Amino acid sequence: MWKIFIGFVVFAGAGLFLIFKGGDKVDMSGEKHGTEQHAPAPSPSASAVK
Amino acid sequence: MTTTAAARPMSAEEKKVIFASSLGTVFEWYDFYLYGSLAAIIAKQFFSGLDPSAAYIFALLAFAAGFLVRPFGAIVFGRLGDMIGRKYTFLVTILIMGSATFVVGLLPNYASIGLAAPVILVILRMLQGLALGGEYGGAATYVAEHSPQGKRGAYTSWIQTTATLGLFLSLMVILGTRLAIGEAAFADWGWRVPFLLSIILLGVSVWIRLSMNESPAFQKMKAEGKTSKAPLTESFGQWKNLKVVILALLGLTAGQAVVWYTGQFYALFFLSTIAKVDGVTANLLIAAALVIGTPFFILFGVLSDKIGRKPIIMAGCLLAAASYFTVFPMLMNYANPALAKAQATIPVAVTADPASCSFQGSPIAREIDFTSSCDQAKRVLAQNFIPYINKVGPTGSVASISIGTASFASLNAVVNDKGNGFTADSAKAIAEFKKTVLDAAKANGLTAKADDKAMNKGMIMVILVYLVILVTMVYGPIAAMLVEMFPTRIRYTSMSLPYHIGNGWFGGLLPTTAFAMVAATGDIYYGLWYPVIVALGTFLIGMFFIKETKDVDIFAND
Repeated sequence: MWKIFIGFVVFAGAGLFLIFKGGDKVDMSGEKHGTEQHAPAPSPSASAVK
Repeated sequence: MTTTAAARPMSAEEKKVIFASSLGTVFEWYDFYLYGSLAAIIAKQFFSGLDPSAAYIFALLAFAAGFLVRPFGAIVFGRLGDMIGRKYTFLVTILIMGSATFVVGLLPNYASIGLAAPVILVILRMLQGLALGGEYGGAATYVAEHSPQGKRGAYTSWIQTTATLGLFLSLMVILGTRLAIGEAAFADWGWRVPFLLSIILLGVSVWIRLSMNESPAFQKMKAEGKTSKAPLTESFGQWKNLKVVILALLGLTAGQAVVWYTGQFYALFFLSTIAKVDGVTANLLIAAALVIGTPFFILFGVLSDKIGRKPIIMAGCLLAAASYFTVFPMLMNYANPALAKAQATIPVAVTADPASCSFQGSPIAREIDFTSSCDQAKRVLAQNFIPYINKVGPTGSVASISIGTASFASLNAVVNDKGNGFTADSAKAIAEFKKTVLDAAKANGLTAKADDKAMNKGMIMVILVYLVILVTMVYGPIAAMLVEMFPTRIRYTSMSLPYHIGNGWFGGLLPTTAFAMVAATGDIYYGLWYPVIVALGTFLIGMFFIKETKDVDIFAND
């Protein structure tokens, strides 16, 4: 269990470091559904479905 | 068939089962976040050459891929999983999902092959959605049917942690590629790398899954000739089963979905768009909260084996419903105190004939669908999340906006002859109106960006971690509970559909619905009524109609 925990912390640390470096270039709100292709309202509707 | 809950550590075979099952959901999440971060580039590569009408049709198809195809995939692959087995269905879903992702990385763009490019892309998205509909139910069923009695909550909770893994994996691949090759190359060809690299994940997943055995419960059922010949008819055609499916949807997954979407996606949206925190800080805060919160999936999974699934999920829904209206205003105060103060002290109002105001929240609406002066007035405020109150104007009057003591007359927009935009004069007048309003809002501090020095990041983290912990309460035990609600012969089919309808429709429509509610009322917190009502509804239905399942012997009725 502790190996998984350490692995997760290292992995997450690397992820956080990369966000710190360029986090304005990613969108963490998940996949879009095409509404942005035809100039809709800039609503959060572009957000995710899961 | 039942294995007792011996106090023994997880065996190597059980670890392999969990790992193999979770890899598919890591893939699912990787893909989910990939399409989020790369949406603008994909749109440019595949859709930018389309005329507005064609783009609109593709938008509808893409929307359908998310909302309709997945529940359909749940039915298709759920049926297969109950008829031919978990293992082979599981292999088919990951092969389709992984191949579709990989092929996107190879697909020529619109400039190379014209209309075929977006057509193939949408077909690939449809295939992904279809396969995805069968993935989660398969993972949950497969792990649960390999788990000893009394440990299903602990074992299946590992599947939920893959959301965080998929997020970080996608971020690492995208940002790593961007930093390595530069922005220009990434926009040109580098965006293909994250899709192409998915072949590694696919190869590992298929290799491991091929080496797995069929679920013991399914093997036994098959050996005894008891598999369902018509899982769909049994699941949805017989009231005693259909009733449980409906209860699983309304009494569990609907609430789980809105708590999850609010805690992760709406919180991010609120922080970055409404509280106007810069992108890096907002992403870092949410990602850090997810890191801290992820072990709680396991914790609540383990706890659900001891005290029950129902109390934990219901407590999560109740706490969410009871606290959202408290914690989101707190989030605003800690993230952007200057904006919170301006919102509290500067009165903003839209005065309009209510008959001229249309519904603003359609996810497939275009800008030209909003032509009245009321719509134009509300759009400029709603799109910038400037809170306002509505005042009733005389019938047929032109709407106006007041900010503090100043007042601005709105205008009716004019659509051009082709019906694909506003006339040049109208577009110019709208732009001028918006600028005038936004200048006034800015002068009053109503569009103030969050100041890093004034931000209380410690308290923001506390709130975000609290929201993520609510997510883990409702999500950690959900797979085990859904599995335990249905007999083996129809389990895959019966649990997949409520999961995907709950998460796809109740959860997936949350951002759109919340925005529509905010736009209609002008209250930036009004959208929270949606998750509050759904979570409360789930709490009430769950409390009265859902039975505790932790002690259910899932093999008893086979």
